Amino acid sequence: MTLAQERTLAAKVRADFPILHQQIHGKPLVYLDNAATSQKPLVVLDALQNYYQQDNANVHRGVHTLSSRATDAYEGARDKVAAFVNAASRQEIVYTRNASEAINLVAYSWGTSNLQAGDEIILSVMEHHSNLIPWQLLAQRTGAVLKFVELTETEEFDLEHFKSLISDRTKLVAIVHVSNTLGCINPVQEITAIAHQHGAKVLIDACQSVPHMAVDVQAIDCDWLVASGHKMCAPTGIGFLYGKLDLLRSMPPFLGGGEMIADVFLDHSTYADLPHKFEAGTPAIAEAIALGAAVDYLSAIGMETIHTYEAELTAYLWQQLQQVPQIRLYGPKPDANGEGRAALAAFTTAAVHPHDLSTILDQAGVAIRAGHHCTQPLHRFLGAQSTARASLHFYNTREEIDTFVAALKEAIDFLGIFLDKRNWATHSSMPNNPCA
Amino acid sequence: MSLDNLRNLYQQVILERYKSPRHRGKTDPVDRYQKGHNPSCGDTIELTLHLDEAAERIQDVKFDGEGCAISLASADLMAEALRGRTVAEALEMVQRFQSMMRGEAEFPQEFRKLNVMQGVAQFPVRIKCANLSWHTLKAALEAQEAQLAAFVSNE
Ligand SMILES: Cc1ncc(COP(=O)(O)O)c(C=O)c1O
Repeated sequence: MTLAQERTLAAKVRADFPILHQQIHGKPLVYLDNAATSQKPLVVLDALQNYYQQDNANVHRGVHTLSSRATDAYEGARDKVAAFVNAASRQEIVYTRNASEAINLVAYSWGTSNLQAGDEIILSVMEHHSNLIPWQLLAQRTGAVLKFVELTETEEFDLEHFKSLISDRTKLVAIVHVSNTLGCINPVQEITAIAHQHGAKVLIDACQSVPHMAVDVQAIDCDWLVASGHKMCAPTGIGFLYGKLDLLRSMPPFLGGGEMIADVFLDHSTYADLPHKFEAGTPAIAEAIALGAAVDYLSAIGMETIHTYEAELTAYLWQQLQQVPQIRLYGPKPDANGEGRAALAAFTTAAVHPHDLSTILDQAGVAIRAGHHCTQPLHRFLGAQSTARASLHFYNTREEIDTFVAALKEAIDFLGIFLDKRNWATHSSMPNNPCA
Repeated sequence: MSLDNLRNLYQQVILERYKSPRHRGKTDPVDRYQKGHNPSCGDTIELTLHLDEAAERIQDVKFDGEGCAISLASADLMAEALRGRTVAEALEMVQRFQSMMRGEAEFPQEFRKLNVMQGVAQFPVRIKCANLSWHTLKAALEAQEAQLAAFVSNE
């Protein structure tokens, strides 16, 4: 974990991200809001530009050259995504706008036709709203019941609690792979095996894992897995659903329209084969192609390399944050090599509200997120109204962590001098740094 | 760090009010109750009002809740400024405050303390924080009586 080694990856890639090379309020930008969305490398921007400058045409609809080029690139990107997550077949990858749409697709298509009153769905308290609201809506439609796995002492997925909740009434388990707030990495393989023993289907929300580590859908053996392109160096407006072939085949269409049909009559239609059955209307062609470019880019670096480098950053981030007085860090502590959690840290400090912190850090060029990060129930569970969150990607550096932590300390000084006597001791989310 | 920008936002008065608010709590009696919520950050405020018999004049205002320095200081300063005002005057002040957040107005001498919030107009993403209590006040005043479950969202 030497400085020289660390410089290697970030130094190699930073030139690929033009957006990182700018000043904010006269300070170099330190972008630490990657869990919200990642930045895009030039190859991805070029893919968008090239598509519109050279190949733009509708897909699957024309015999002319441009249409065939567009179709090849669009479908070629699907092959890349399939290989990236090790799907058994390209037909198992359905393009969606984002992870949220992918989850809604499963909830409407599979959920509505398979769930009945009294059936149970197991989620966890750490789910992003995207992996909660669609199931709430499904429960309202069908009378299914939602159950929630709670957290261990170390603020991780409580596998024992999960085992106590699951039964033959459980029809679905939908769990986040890596929490966007706690940073814990959930044992999805084990969860899936247990769920399958009870005949339940499993959906994995891989939004925060796919951009940062190798994810293998066959090894996990999940029934569905969802992710958003924009968090993995691709543009917004594109994401994907992985689903096991037979299962996707058995599911009725979600949205109707062009593209998803085989034969159309006035009173009924037959549907296209997978994956197009679930891709109604003209898709986000350029974005899908750019997603393919992002996957190529990440694969060229290597997900193992990215993961190892991010683990080094995690160890350093944690070590530095722990030195900030009266900080409360959420989620599990990394081990000495930075393993055991994702390269992000949600925290609160005794002196400064996350919102104020984010404004003050912005003046120092440092972009972090403040709020509930779309995990409001988790925040309620933790007794925190909101948290601040710094989330890293492979283009971040140790120096940026230094800048962030120095600015954090300054911010605490800036507001803290006025606020030192404020009664935060009663704040329920502020036990004495249990992660230390 | 651009401390000048920050000092303009976090004026001394704002920080003092954040640290030691003067109008936290609940009025006695509670003639109006309104909960306000800023869904984007999770901040909440509970506003209580004590009105005169005719429900025309504000006798007392108190707030409770959790939030950032901007939202809590704004609530505290608002509570102070409202004492003794008529409902109509208070509604006019809501409008003026919201205009001030757009950089289009300020308060006259009598209410000059409220002008310390002017710096927020330079931080567009924080305007919601400053507006939360005023937004909640408007809902409280427009309600006909104490609504114990009332909840407004600042979106
Ligand atoms: C864990 C997790 N799940 C789901 C989502 C939703 O992603 P999107 O808004 O792109 O659908 C996010 C992103 O905010 C996330 O972090």
